[in-house]
Amino acid sequence: MVNAVKGLYVSCDIPMAQFIINMNASLPQSQKFIIHVLDNTHLFVRSDMAGMIRSAIAEFRDANTYEKPA
Amino acid sequence: MGHHGHGEKGRPSKKIKFASKEEYRASTAADDQYEEGGDDFHDGEREGKKMDFTKLELKPDHANRPLWACADGRIFLETFSPLYKQAYDFLIAIAEPVCRPESMHEYNLTPHSLYAAVSVGLETETIIAVLSKLSKTKLPKEMIDFIHASTANYGKVKLVLKKNRYFIESPFPEVLKRLLADDIIAKARISSEGMHGNDGFTVSKPVNEIEGGHDELINEVDVAAAAEEKETHSFEINPDQVENVKQRCLPNALNYPMMEEYDFRNDTVNPDLDMELKPQAQPRPYQEKSLSKMFGNGRARSGIIVLPCGAGKSLVGVSAASRIKKSCLCLATNAVSVDQWAFQFKLWSTIREEQICRFTSDSKERFRGNVGVVVTTYNMVAFGGKRSEESEKIIEEIRNREWGLLLMDEVHVVPAHMFRKVISITKSHCKLGLTATLVREDERITDLNFLIGPKLYEANWLDLVKGGFIANVQCAEVWCPMTKEFFAEYLKKENSKKRQALYVMNPNKFRACEFLIRFHEQQRGDKIIVFADNLFALTEYAMKLRKPMIYGATSHVERTKILDAFKTSKEVNTIFLSKVGDNSIDIPEANVIIQISSHAGSRRQEAQRLGRILRAKGRHQDRMAGGKEEYNAFFYSLVSTDTQEMYYSTKRQQFLIDQGYSFKVITSLPPADSGPELSYHRLDDQLQLLGKVLSAGDDAVGLEQLDEDADDVALQKARRYSGSMSAMSGAKGMVYMEYNTGKKGLIKSKPKDPTKRHQLFKKRFG
Repeated sequence: MVNAVKGLYVSCDIPMAQFIINMNASLPQSQKFIIHVLDNTHLFVRSDMAGMIRSAIAEFRDANTYEKPA
Repeated sequence: MGHHGHGEKGRPSKKIKFASKEEYRASTAADDQYEEGGDDFHDGEREGKKMDFTKLELKPDHANRPLWACADGRIFLETFSPLYKQAYDFLIAIAEPVCRPESMHEYNLTPHSLYAAVSVGLETETIIAVLSKLSKTKLPKEMIDFIHASTANYGKVKLVLKKNRYFIESPFPEVLKRLLADDIIAKARISSEGMHGNDGFTVSKPVNEIEGGHDELINEVDVAAAAEEKETHSFEINPDQVENVKQRCLPNALNYPMMEEYDFRNDTVNPDLDMELKPQAQPRPYQEKSLSKMFGNGRARSGIIVLPCGAGKSLVGVSAASRIKKSCLCLATNAVSVDQWAFQFKLWSTIREEQICRFTSDSKERFRGNVGVVVTTYNMVAFGGKRSEESEKIIEEIRNREWGLLLMDEVHVVPAHMFRKVISITKSHCKLGLTATLVREDERITDLNFLIGPKLYEANWLDLVKGGFIANVQCAEVWCPMTKEFFAEYLKKENSKKRQALYVMNPNKFRACEFLIRFHEQQRGDKIIVFADNLFALTEYAMKLRKPMIYGATSHVERTKILDAFKTSKEVNTIFLSKVGDNSIDIPEANVIIQISSHAGSRRQEAQRLGRILRAKGRHQDRMAGGKEEYNAFFYSLVSTDTQEMYYSTKRQQFLIDQGYSFKVITSLPPADSGPELSYHRLDDQLQLLGKVLSAGDDAVGLEQLDEDADDVALQKARRYSGSMSAMSGAKGMVYMEYNTGKKGLIKSKPKDPTKRHQLFKKRFG
């Protein structure tokens, strides 16, 4: 029988895929959101997680970005 | 360009940022409010109103004039103007350089910079007249008022050293009274031998003052010789309190900055030292200029001269000593530079062998005769513990002598408390501080203002590059993506202490490094220094690539052996250095630097390291713009993307960017087609390396600790940085003050407040 799951296809670079995988791993079982790790740069995740992933990545990148004090 | 609003923060601005003139002007004054008399113009609220410059009155012949002067104290200089050279000389004397890229410089008028200006002999009216002559617009009233307010009191008070006692002198008894109303100054006063005059001040007739000639436009005017034909009133102060008294007199306190000049020609008390510059010592134009600031009126002024590494600071120091011709105490940071200074003195001047002595823990040469040069380290003088009998005697001599010149090298690295100690122990008529980088990661730069004196001269790096006096360096930041496995470990919480080791040992970085070494060794025949602060990485890299390395624990004998081989052998073209190589090791042969790990966000370290390759090489004409070798030196900083290193890397570059350097970003190293000829091509090897990093102890993968590590504030990871600053001549932008707002050792996270996020990122991640 065909089993269909609705989800979000995420395409990113290798480090960011690791970042998302790490994020997923740190959550309790009930909140895990990765459905399949397709390959090094592609993930299949729960469709409601787009915003969360985006903001986590934004925060991570900000932390690594230096802003000159005004 | 630090303050010109947005668009230059973060990565996207890596390539040269430059706005057109109009845009530039419009955005500049935007950010900041200016408060008169305050040290920090930038503390005020950010308001958009100041963007409006339509009211500035443009002069009809504005095209011929090189400056834009804004009401908030900022001045912009077009470097393509035919009057650039003159305008530059003038601006550098009255204002603080904020950022100096190729075509447009930004300067800032501050109380301290104006104090420095009057102290080199410029009068208030001259400053205003020249400024308005050069400005495209009518000079804003605010600026004129500000100049008046900042310079009015200068020169009314003098600090004089006579027979080992310090006096504060002024022709105006009422000024002295006002100073004495201050608690600190009143306490510092030594009331001696009865009363003279009504106020208890010692009154004396002035000695004849000799005015020297001036050759420059801006030096036309004599020093405020208010004392002429007047009686001088004075009181004595406690030598231990000199520093505090000077600090109280600065523009941000009582605002009677003290003039400190040494009339060495008329000093008959201290014996003369017979030394001249040798004829082959030909100071370059900028060296002459910096000296003329110091000796502008025939007397010697205390202050700081800022020249990039490799531009010949030692010749400036030796020239100053040979002009004053009195006993000179020269302070360096370590024993190696002591030897170098002693050598420089003998090289450039006619000083006799027996008139110069070195005082270090290894060589304690006694002072013979009654006059001479002593070269020693800050540590030796400031040392508080028990000394050997021999050292004690030498120190006693240093303490009891009245020095004509106190020459201080690398003033930016010496911890402030050590400075204080040195200055309170030694009595000198004139102090000259030399440095390449007036930045520190602690807040101590401001202190130099009262510890030494105002900044007398600061060279423009790009002008020196254009003149062929220092090497033309291509700076590049090489972005190395983390491999999957390394990044997965990097992200794990339990590895937080190994993060640095993980991003430094990133196999992609290793391969990029290996590629660059091969390229420069084989294709160009260059000499390469690889810097790594992380000892674990230093060892791994050096062993794997079979290159010699030097770090803190390397013995003196071995160091010398390795350096000699690097200098002379065709086989040894690359050496690995830990941060011991930042300052003290002199390697003029090297012309390529590859930086694989560094000292968190230290801008000073970045500039010092660049300085290792700034000494100009090759033929002069080849180095000039359009010559055969436009770039003859290379500075690579290898950075693992998506890690903390990106943050530090950008921060580190700020100083050099303000000097006009631009960093080119390289993303494709090693080239995609490179395979097993470089190390760690196979996944197995990479995993083995990863295992090594993870199994090493946390302490083994940390930073190397050196005794002479002065600004360790930068070592503390990931702090929030405060933008408030006042600095050496009140600079902002290039001299930030940063302080620890939290508890010591507390690791704080980076800003996460989305309101602080840059517009670009807001848009991108919204």
